[in-house]
Amino acid sequence: MGALIIVLTYIAYVFIVAVYTVKVAAWLKMPPHIRWDLYPVIHEEHYRYGGSYYEQQEWWTKPRPRNTLRSLLYSLKDNFYMGEYFERNRLYWLFLLPWHLGFIFIITFHVLCFFAAVAMVGGLDIDAASPHVAGQIFYYILLLTGGIAFVTGTFGSIGMPIIRLADRGLRTYAMPMNFFSYFFFLVVYGSGLLAWLILDPTLDEYRAYWLGLITLTPPALHPMTVLHIVLFDIFLIYLPFTRSTHYITRILAYFFIRWDDEPNLPGSDLERKIGGLLGRKVSWEGKHIPAGKSWAEAATESGLVEAKKDK
Amino acid sequence: MKNKINIDDFSRPGGQVAEIDPAELIPLPPPYDRMEKPPIRKLTDEQRKRMDASLDGVVAVGLTPPASMEEEKAFIEKFLAGLEKLFSDQDNWTFLQPLVHTLEYCVKCQICSDACPAYISSGRQEIYRPTMRPELLRRIVSTYIKKEHPLLRKFKASNIDINWQTLARLAELAYRCTLCRRCAQVCLLGCDNALISREIRKLFSQQMGIAPKEIHEKGSVQQIRIGSSTGMTPPALRNILEFIEEEIEEKTGQKIKIPVDKKGADMLLLHNAGEFLAWPENLEAFAIFLDAAGVDWTLSSELAGYDAVNYGVWYDDVQFARVALIHAKAAKALGVRKISMGECGHAHKAMIVIADRILTGDLNIPRESCIPLMEEIVLSGRVKLDPSRNNFPVTLHDPCNMVRLMGIVSPQRRILEKICPQFREMTPHGVENYCCGGGSGFAITQSTNFPDWRSAVSGRMKMKQILDAFQDVPGPEVKKYVCAPCSNCKGQFRDMFEYYGIWEKSGILYGGLVELIVNAMVDLKKPFIQWEWH
Repeated sequence: MGALIIVLTYIAYVFIVAVYTVKVAAWLKMPPHIRWDLYPVIHEEHYRYGGSYYEQQEWWTKPRPRNTLRSLLYSLKDNFYMGEYFERNRLYWLFLLPWHLGFIFIITFHVLCFFAAVAMVGGLDIDAASPHVAGQIFYYILLLTGGIAFVTGTFGSIGMPIIRLADRGLRTYAMPMNFFSYFFFLVVYGSGLLAWLILDPTLDEYRAYWLGLITLTPPALHPMTVLHIVLFDIFLIYLPFTRSTHYITRILAYFFIRWDDEPNLPGSDLERKIGGLLGRKVSWEGKHIPAGKSWAEAATESGLVEAKKDK
Repeated sequence: MKNKINIDDFSRPGGQVAEIDPAELIPLPPPYDRMEKPPIRKLTDEQRKRMDASLDGVVAVGLTPPASMEEEKAFIEKFLAGLEKLFSDQDNWTFLQPLVHTLEYCVKCQICSDACPAYISSGRQEIYRPTMRPELLRRIVSTYIKKEHPLLRKFKASNIDINWQTLARLAELAYRCTLCRRCAQVCLLGCDNALISREIRKLFSQQMGIAPKEIHEKGSVQQIRIGSSTGMTPPALRNILEFIEEEIEEKTGQKIKIPVDKKGADMLLLHNAGEFLAWPENLEAFAIFLDAAGVDWTLSSELAGYDAVNYGVWYDDVQFARVALIHAKAAKALGVRKISMGECGHAHKAMIVIADRILTGDLNIPRESCIPLMEEIVLSGRVKLDPSRNNFPVTLHDPCNMVRLMGIVSPQRRILEKICPQFREMTPHGVENYCCGGGSGFAITQSTNFPDWRSAVSGRMKMKQILDAFQDVPGPEVKKYVCAPCSNCKGQFRDMFEYYGIWEKSGILYGGLVELIVNAMVDLKKPFIQWEWH
């Protein structure tokens, strides 16, 4: 059983990383689009009220200060706060935020377990009574992240189907997959919660499990913990089939669509790229679009054929 | 009826998916809470036979039903072929990334619904939810393009049966969104359901040749063909400018020659041609103001060089690119250093922002808004102004294209704070403003009962905001001014104010920003704003 868990865990992690990477790469590979920015643009100097560099006369002669760190923090902040939901649908927020915190913290917990295992191999004793302060800190961080993950995840997974059914708008657009996910995630978090509360209050078994993973030594675990780990591995394999990549793509959308205010200055790299895109062929069949022409051709001489003909 | 609507209703032959119930519309303050006429006129039987109104009884596109099964089949096949092109990086590189992102990552959490003025104003009609159009499109893609297994479609609730009427309803539904993008602003996942409305419009236009005639046939096509969507030709422009010069002399006693085709001028000013015909006072004010400030500017009389509109921004990338190129070529021919956009929101967004990735090489001429220039002149004192001349209540409407979609927020406010002692804001304002209700071509769409819909539904929230801004002076005895630095917004206000009888009941006038500036000019003997021309 221990060997099976090791194999399954490696498969699950490789799978989720590979699929997420492919999805993100596919997102980034799409060609540059026409500007479609939306204000406030957070890296802008006057982002507080939504001002842009277009507020200046002859903006192209002026510096365009840009605070990328602020944008990054702003986009990450909502993973932990979800302010728009708090403002607009507080009941939904009450379940949605814990549900999402469950995701974030369970992944964080496992990543920390990995580092804890590495530290243990290096000789660090991770325990409440560890002779090393670092070991004590590690112990409590693991306890905190794991506990938050199990509690918020379980709470959110119970609340989400209830609010999904109770709210007219959410109900109209609900799909069986939503309810399957809520149920499955409840089982995942709930099994973890039970294992933690009943069998393993120090979460010692997870450290043993991760130690086994990195040393390729099958660990001896309680069946309840095994059940949770197997479910968690399946959870990792299932996630890429949901819209969960939005944790990453929402940030990409902010930076590459909503806040993309980069002007196309003469001689720039952007201008060169656009030149290439304008050479692509269009095959739209509307009567006003000439067949077999490039974008540039359709927009210039070919596009005026219809006009000349009708004169 | 609104509570029982579901996606399958869009595929139901005959009938109407939703009915706009006047009792469900959000209330307006008295005396507008008791409208004497029904908010939206019913179509006649003859109109219903000719034009599909099976979405909500309103017509913007008005497709004619197919005459045979073969015709219907060909229509559907052509649509589906277009839908595939929408996901092609050849045919739709222009918006592929935001389109794919929204369709794949929207979790249908409905947080955007409460941000949509049309949805809220309608009394939360299910069909107007910002998520409805993407949901329909997503299902069509799942069922007919990706051809996902029926069990998977059931699991993902992504099945749909389409017929001609489904698509006719979808086409109409794409024209119930003003593209104000308030929905996108609140989305934590970076999705943009307003863009989906535009992509659906684009599919119908670029693939099927279907668009409201005011936008395409009488809009962008006419602009490319004869120079302006208004039908104004270059010779007609000359006549109108002569008239404007005479008007200026009559109003101010000043002889001002409006510069046209002045080679090597510093700045080409591009006005929405609607101003020439409907609001010449805006052009007059610009001429007086720029003359007084000593700006080196010119208009163009080149084909379409005198009409800043670019309706392509609402429905068609090819038409958009054509018009943008014509504008840039007009500027290039004159050898101007820069292009300045007059008071027109969509023209601002189209030429300054969106065309930015269309115009390359020597057509990439610097482009800016007229508002920062006006601010510089007003705040520098180059033109002497007396704010007491504008001592009446003034509020500011933020055109979505100029503000939420471009970030030009504060210059117009600094101007109004300097020249209008009774300036007050609407709530909310700035980048969180509400659309006038005439955005994305609605203000020019005059088809059958569509103007009723945009006054009663899409513009209702703005109407409420305006009335609320003047709640301390509600009666007609105090004259009030809504400053709307956008031609399309003014078109919407013209129709909506008439619809509600705003002048008679509340004494509210709408107009541009430059008119207020000129009204405050100490050099003018008489007030420039003529309240009697409401």
